Amino acid sequence: MEELLEKLLEAVEFGKVDQKSPYPPQLKGQDGSHEITISAIETGISPQRILEEALIPAMARVGKKFSENKIFVPQMLMSARAMGASMLQLKPFFTSGDIKTKGTFIIGTVKGDLHDIGKNLVAMMVEGGGWSIVDLGVDVGSDRFIEALRNNPGAIVGISALLTTTMVNMGEIVSSIKEEVPDTKILIGGAPVNDDFCQKIGADFYAPDPQGAVEYLNKMAS
Amino acid sequence: MIKHSIRLHPLGKELMVNDQTPLIDVLHEFGIEFPCGGKGTCGKCKVRLLEGEIKTTEDHQQKIEKLGLSDDWRLACFSKCTTDITLEIDQFNHLILADESEFDFCPQEGFGVAVDLGTTTVVAQLIDLSSAKVLAVETMLNPQVRFGADLISRIQSCIDGNQTEMTRIIRAVIGKMIDLMMKKHPVELQKVVLVGNSVMQLIFSNGNVSPLSMYPFKTDNLGLKTLIPEELGWNFQVKEKVKFYPSIGSFVGSDILAGILATGLHQKEKFTALIDLGTNGEIVIGNKNQIVCASTAAGPAFEGANISMGMRAVTGAISSLNLVEDKIEAIVIGNTAPKGICGSALIDAIAILRKLDLIGMFGEINSGETAIQITGKVSLSQKDINEFQLAKAAIATGLSILARKLSIELDEIETIYIAGGFGSYINIENLAATGMIELPQEKIHKIGNTALIGAKMFLFSDTEMYEEILTKTRHINLEGDPNFQNIYVDKMLFL
Repeated sequence: MEELLEKLLEAVEFGKVDQKSPYPPQLKGQDGSHEITISAIETGISPQRILEEALIPAMARVGKKFSENKIFVPQMLMSARAMGASMLQLKPFFTSGDIKTKGTFIIGTVKGDLHDIGKNLVAMMVEGGGWSIVDLGVDVGSDRFIEALRNNPGAIVGISALLTTTMVNMGEIVSSIKEEVPDTKILIGGAPVNDDFCQKIGADFYAPDPQGAVEYLNKMAS
Repeated sequence: MIKHSIRLHPLGKELMVNDQTPLIDVLHEFGIEFPCGGKGTCGKCKVRLLEGEIKTTEDHQQKIEKLGLSDDWRLACFSKCTTDITLEIDQFNHLILADESEFDFCPQEGFGVAVDLGTTTVVAQLIDLSSAKVLAVETMLNPQVRFGADLISRIQSCIDGNQTEMTRIIRAVIGKMIDLMMKKHPVELQKVVLVGNSVMQLIFSNGNVSPLSMYPFKTDNLGLKTLIPEELGWNFQVKEKVKFYPSIGSFVGSDILAGILATGLHQKEKFTALIDLGTNGEIVIGNKNQIVCASTAAGPAFEGANISMGMRAVTGAISSLNLVEDKIEAIVIGNTAPKGICGSALIDAIAILRKLDLIGMFGEINSGETAIQITGKVSLSQKDINEFQLAKAAIATGLSILARKLSIELDEIETIYIAGGFGSYINIENLAATGMIELPQEKIHKIGNTALIGAKMFLFSDTEMYEEILTKTRHINLEGDPNFQNIYVDKMLFL
């Protein structure tokens, strides 16, 4: 049993989706997260353990390596794909309530901005951190964030921007959310964003990378 | 270090350069094209040696003979400066196009000025409209650079209240460049044409830039702009109105419209592509029936931005790297000590490091170190390599999505032209090795400044010519494509 969890952790950390996937070269021909997750469920390992003892630690390692510049976007995305293949098998257990997530994270790219790769990476890493994700996509204004918050009370909000010209729109969104749904925690990120800007617009946290977002959320959940 | 003077005829310019400086380093700044990319096959960069000496190698001598030139001619792409020299630049007597042919023009009365207003550099040439001869050239840095290096920061600076100043200084600099050329050649100007990207166009014509600051990035203010010298603050007369040519789309300007004209891709049966590896990274694919184009966020890395030791293709930049018996050898612009690395050498560095297996398929430094020494004090960090991956993936993704929009395979493209500030220095073999352009090397041709060539052609053309191109051309928003992310991430790999 333990061995399967370890194998799954390795498959996700190095981005092995399924047996026929050519990536990564060092795991060629071996089972990927798809097959290992199926075996793990069949063996009777609890889905909660699969999430907590394989997926979450694997994605934490990936996030750490990314923030240390040891891996880059492609490897992170490979890992996210491997995690996704595993999550697909675990989905029924989320729906039935057998797996408890740490909470809900609502994420979107700021109004006026269409860049979504950074936002998607954060969403994947946060999901791999054991959270439910509501992804609102790109060009998202305050009304859509507020609507999503009404549907998911107590959720934490993440806003992303890639352009200096669009990040200014975060200010209006943050103040609208804080006015309509007080006590909402908001984290922001993206290339032009920094801590000073975060404080200036009254957001709660600036995450310099996906791992920073996961760590902040976990702190909020505990 | 020993210095020599180079006098350029008919420009009347005199420059001082270090011993052994290749002529290509000096001449490309004056808008001189090297259509075959320095292979010595096209002969379009030929110069006549009026005074002094340029020694020829056996290879150089053979190329000169093969082209049927007399013994006072040299190929600039093969020449180094070792004494004081005076050169007559043949290219200034004709207008050479991207495909190595000459522009067939209808002679006109008078004189004109063509300006390529780039985000970083401005080039202007004074042209005799009866012969298409270049009489004078001026090159200057765009003074707006102090308001930001890339287009988004320029736009931001306009919104922050600096637009009036940015408009004033660019008009003043171009006026000064034209003034300098007319001091040497006191002629009456018939016309002045300008090309540049859409943001440069809007700032020059004092249009509203803010619609380009966020989605949907749309403005209907990108058509042909006509202005008179008085409103530009210019103290000389121009008989016709000053024309800034129309942009194609929100981030694809008249510099690319000019590029399409210069490559003639809008008249060809087979598909041709044009990639401008400048700050804005525009891509065009098309033929006589239809043309698609897009801009990518590829440029900054190639212009030296975001690269720890990156710089533009100016004196002190490593322009190329070669692998000689497993050792990396650097060529530095101006033959001085290396200060940093420019776009073309960045491409070489990545190709060489990958070849030596010092970096892996994901761009990771295999040793686990945070940087790799290239030569002397110049090194590439892991982050620099990642920046390059983003840039090369942006270009490769752009090509892939544009080809899909035309419902063609990439290999249906017959010829692909690489333009850009450092275009002449690019090593095609290395470019292909990085996976930025996934086509066989023989299809890839480098060319310098297609925007300037096209601007000169506009001096001789009527408005119908560009309207025909505009009608055929579709502007594509790459990030709006549902497959963008998957393609983009795949193209970051080194396979």
